This record gives sequence, C-alpha cells and structure tokens, in this order.
Amino acid sequence: MKSPEKVIPFEFIPDKEGRIITINSENYLLMNDAFYTFYERSIGEFSPFFLAIKNEKRVLGCKCTKCGIIRVPPFVTHCPFCDFAPTELIEVEQVGKMLSTPPITYFASALFLDKAPFGRGRVILNGANTALSAMLYTTTGILVPGLIQKGTEVKVIFRDRRIGEITDIFCVPTAELTPEQIAKKGLQESELNWAAPKEPEFPKATADDIAIYKQSLKEMQALAGEMSKSKRARKAIEGWKRDIAVKTKAGEFAMFIDDGDFRIEEKKIASPDFVMACEDPRTLLDGLKYNGAITDSVILKKLWISKNIEFNTVFKLDRLARFLAREKKEQATR
Amino acid sequence: MARKVGIVGAAVTPFRGKWYEKTYYELAQMATREALKDAAISVKDVDAVVYGIYNDIFERTCIPEHPLQGVIGMQNKPGIRVTNGGATGAYAMSAAHAYVAAERYNVALVLGVEKATDCFDFTSMSATPEVIKVIGWSGDSFFEQKIGWTASDSYAEVVLAYMDEYPGDLKPEVTAQVSARLSQQVKTNPYAQRQFDQVTPEEVMHSRYIVYPFKELEICVYGEGAAAVIIAEEETAKAISRNNGKPVVWITGVGEANEISFAGKNQNHWGRIMSHHVAAQKAYQMAGIKDPLEEIDVVELHDAFIHQLEISMAEMGFVPLGRADTLVEEGIMMPGGKLSVNPSGGLLYCGHAVGASNIMSAWSCRNEIINKGYRRGLVHGTGSTLAQYGVVLILEHE
Repeated sequence: MKSPEKVIPFEFIPDKEGRIITINSENYLLMNDAFYTFYERSIGEFSPFFLAIKNEKRVLGCKCTKCGIIRVPPFVTHCPFCDFAPTELIEVEQVGKMLSTPPITYFASALFLDKAPFGRGRVILNGANTALSAMLYTTTGILVPGLIQKGTEVKVIFRDRRIGEITDIFCVPTAELTPEQIAKKGLQESELNWAAPKEPEFPKATADDIAIYKQSLKEMQALAGEMSKSKRARKAIEGWKRDIAVKTKAGEFAMFIDDGDFRIEEKKIASPDFVMACEDPRTLLDGLKYNGAITDSVILKKLWISKNIEFNTVFKLDRLARFLAREKKEQATR
Repeated sequence: MARKVGIVGAAVTPFRGKWYEKTYYELAQMATREALKDAAISVKDVDAVVYGIYNDIFERTCIPEHPLQGVIGMQNKPGIRVTNGGATGAYAMSAAHAYVAAERYNVALVLGVEKATDCFDFTSMSATPEVIKVIGWSGDSFFEQKIGWTASDSYAEVVLAYMDEYPGDLKPEVTAQVSARLSQQVKTNPYAQRQFDQVTPEEVMHSRYIVYPFKELEICVYGEGAAAVIIAEEETAKAISRNNGKPVVWITGVGEANEISFAGKNQNHWGRIMSHHVAAQKAYQMAGIKDPLEEIDVVELHDAFIHQLEISMAEMGFVPLGRADTLVEEGIMMPGGKLSVNPSGGLLYCGHAVGASNIMSAWSCRNEIINKGYRRGLVHGTGSTLAQYGVVLILEHE
C-alpha cells in the first residue's frame, strides 16, 4: 500500500551534517539545517468554501447584504466598504473571464519545481464581482504567453483527489473544452483530454544538415571543456548529476552533467535521465554560447524535453552558459 | 510642529550573493561601525535604533533583532523592528524619522540587514528556489501560497495588467536598455554584488524567462548585506555636520501607502500601482514639490523588476502613465538626461538584501547629493504582494 503523502516530502530533507568552505585560507562552517513547524491549522470562516469545493464541487462567494458586491473567494464575513454590514454565502458559476493577462512561472520555487510551467491569474467567475486567484493550465502541452490573456474565458476544473485546499481546483481555457464539458458543473481533471508528451519526429537529414551537426557538436564539446575548467561555471552544476540524450535531425549525442563536470560525447545512452530533441543542433549551441536561452527554446517549442521537471536542468544549462560568459567578461574588464 | 530631521551618517557593507564569512550579527555591526565612523560620533550618542529586517525565515529566528541590541552596543536603549516586505528599509527610515521629528529622540540609527541566501534547496542543489520559496511564504496563506504565489508572479500580475491597459508601453527593447543602463552605472559602486556584470540590451533580451514577462536580467538579485543611516534633529545634525565636515542631507518629505490585495470591482486599482502614486504625492506635498521631473535630480528607486521600475516612475509623476518608455526613448534617464535613476546600480545590480536595500538606496542618494552637488533626491521602496506597499522619502541639501 502506498504510504500517505507527507506535508514535507522526504526528498527535501537534507542529512544532519555540515561542510567546510575555505576562503582566503580561512575555514568556515556551513551546517545543514531546517526551520520547521507543523500546524493543525484552523480554516475557520473559510471552511464552508473549502468544504464545498471538496465535497460538492461547488464554488462559493459572499454577498454583502447592503451594497450587494459578491466576493470570490468569500474573504469577509462583514463588508469593509459598508461599515461591516454582514455578508451571506452564495454559489457562483464555474466559468468566468480573466481579469488580466496572467503571468507564467517557468522558474519555480523549490515546492513548485515539479509543477512548472504554470500560470496563475485572476478569474472573475460569472456571478462574481471580485477575482479568484487560480492556477492555470493548458491541456495542449506547455503553457506559452498569449494562450491565456485578459478576457479569455476559462473554466474551473476539480482535481480527482480533493483534500479541502485551494489546490483542489485550477482553470483551463474553455476553448479547449467541448460544449458539454463547459456546461458540466464539477468537471474533473480526468475528464479532460490531456495531450501526452510525444517525442518529435524529424525529416531525413541532408548532407548540409550533417555538416552543421558535426560543426555544432565540435563547438559544443569545446564549450563544455571550457565550462568544466571555469570555477564559476562549475558552480552552476555543483552537486548535480544528469545523463541527457540529445536527438537532432542529423545525429544523436549525449551530455553528461556530473557535479561541476560537463561533457558532451557523440554516443547513444541506453537509459538517460531525460531526452532533449531539437531539429537543429544550433538551437542548443546558441544556448550554450549564451546567445539566447535554452529555456526560451523549450517555451518556443524549438527544443523538446521528455520531462517537464527537467526544466530544472535546463535552467542549470542556461546558468552554466551565463556563468562562463560572465567569467570571460570579468576577466576582460579587470 | 514637527522638527526638521536630517541624515548625518550612512554606510553599507558589501552586498554579496552569499556571505560565508559573516553571520547577520557581524554584518549588522559592520554597517553600524561604518555609519558611526561616517558621522564621527560614538554609539553612546545614539538614542534609539530602528531595525529593518524583512523575513524571520531568512535569519532563521523569530525575533532576529534582539541579539543585535547587544552586538551594536545599544544596552537599555529603545529598539524597534520594522518588517514591511520589500519596503522594510524605507518604512524603517520613515518610522525613525517620525520618532525624531516628534521629539522622542534626538539621534536614531536605522539599521537594515538580511541574510537571504543561507536558504538552500537540497533537491536542486541551489539556493534560489529555496529563497523564492521562503518569500513565497509571504503570499496569502489560504488562497495563494499553495498555488505557487511568488514575489515575481505577483509583481508580474500588476505589470501584465498595466500592459493590458497600455499595450504599447514597456517594450522589451526598452526594458532591456534600462537594465543595460543600470549595469553600466553599477561600475562605480564598489559595494555592489554585480559591479563587473555589464550587460548589453541584446544580452538582456536573450536572457531566459523566469516568470513571463520577466527575463532573468530584468529581475533584482537576492543577496546578503547590511546598511545603516544615522538621522538627527536639526540642531544636533548641524553640530555633527560641523564636526565631521559633511553637509546634512535633510529628509524633507515622507509618504507611505498600502493598497489592498483583492482584485475586481472597487478593489485594488488593477493595472496601476496606486501605493507608489499616493506615497509620492504625500511626500511631494510635505516637501513642497510641484513638478518632480524639474525639481528632483536623482532617484534611488526600488527596482524589484525593470517593468515595475518604469511603472513606478510613471506613478511618481516623472513620465506619463502609458508612456514610461520615454524614460529611455526621450533620454530622461540616459546619459545626459534630466534625471539620474539608480546610480547605485539599483537592486538589480547592487543586489537586494531586503531589509537593507532601501537603506542602501538612501545611502547612495545621500552620496550623490553630497558628491555631485544635487539639490534633491528621492528614495523609493516597494513591497508585498502586487506591489501593495509604497514608500517615498525626499532627501534635500540646502
């Protein structure tokens, strides 16, 4: 039987130990530590809102008995605009419009690395006057700028497993749903047609493509060599280990990240940590040269990664490129 | 009638990505020692201290200021801590100003410190995701934290709402130029975290998205450091000035405002940063400023994000709303322009050691006024979700 999910995932917890760092021949201590508190938290006046989501798949707001404003979520039991006239709970619709264009998080906090990229924005649900802050997804793959904008109609989707938290719901554009799905109250995530990650297929390589591939690989290998020698660049991949298979139109190679070392070899690896695929190897070369971000290539669909969580590694590659460029620049400046 | 209050000493420690060699105790003492040296007074001459420390979790303790009272030699003297998100340092200076203006104390120390990057994420083996996580604990805890609220995405909400209103403003090539300009200015700030990190507009545009629409080189960098200013009432300030030979830089205007964090009908004025507008208007009124662009020479603005820098400049009346790009396009903040904006390099290049940041800005603004012969400067602080908090101080040299 699967053990229940813990409030702090086990992988976040470091070993109880420290290390020494030497700066100008002096030793300084760094200690692994944590600052944690557990709660049995009162949800108080918000309980009806969360229970309605969890048990009935309904969204509640509160209506001021004096001015009539309907706030979602029901933030206040008494209206601060009306000298604290009481409010009453009422149900609102599960379709609404974006109040403004939402931001998209690509580089997430430690808790959300596995959920990025995601949008978070404000939705005015039909029947409400104030906006609900909601996580936004697309069923079509990676959320890119432009897909959800001010005024885009979205629908509240309920998680299959709900625990009575705001994460029990999220929104997707109604343009990705059928009329029946839009009309259905309490639509669940498993009822949506989520696009499965599919490795892109490339056309056959021409002689030119092969020449470009050979040249790009050579340049990337040279850069990797410089990165492994750069003290600053090494810091970008300190403590990190990944074997990455890179597929391009004209050939496949492997990138190995190993605690500061970065190698590129022309070989196929049987069980990589993840796969990168880009038709033109220069997409990746530009990134490593610090001439355009690899992250952006993923966002713009010029480079495909087999696991979204490996955005994490993509960021490290971008940082590797930036740190090397910065070190070279600083050497030139000083 | 409130008393006249001026800055008589100021100092910062170097801002760094991480201070392995110092705890926040020592950083706080370093800034205090140097500020006292600058004012040429003893700690015995200081009547009270106001601490600016933003986040308990960064310092890994819940009353982070209490050990500092002894560390900086303020036994049996009053000390209060101010914590107001990103605007902590600016609010700390505002509080100290009020105490001194109200005749409660004659000389007060404002001490900001933050040690942010001890936080470390052992899954990605890097500090930044954990730092973002800690700041993420500042979001609304019932409705927003668990769906990924961060400082960046909440400021991005405001910026995108502004861009919905004014689609032609905040053009990527302009935000890139602003960042590149700040990176040039930081060259003369030896305390900066990125003193030698000069970037071109192209590099800014090529840097990766962190949170759309912000790119990596358009976001301030978190860091560690401390900053201190010493303020005094008029007569004491003049006496200190006669002794140390440095002119008093008077605080002639102070304004603050906090918006609400709800959006929609009759709520937060979506697409605006009203707090910065209101705070500036209050400060201008107090200082008697009618036309900020004509009457102010130097601005040290809390540039959490380049886009927000531009909007804040518009909200404070330097450029029209919807035409913030004129800061660059009409050369206002470019070499030879009317205004010097963030000569310190700003929080983007000097670094953002949260509680210390706005105090660093005041330190820089005072230096600029004294060294360049400017008449007036403006120090700005922003913080909390959706740029909810705004603080503006006007510094002046008679």
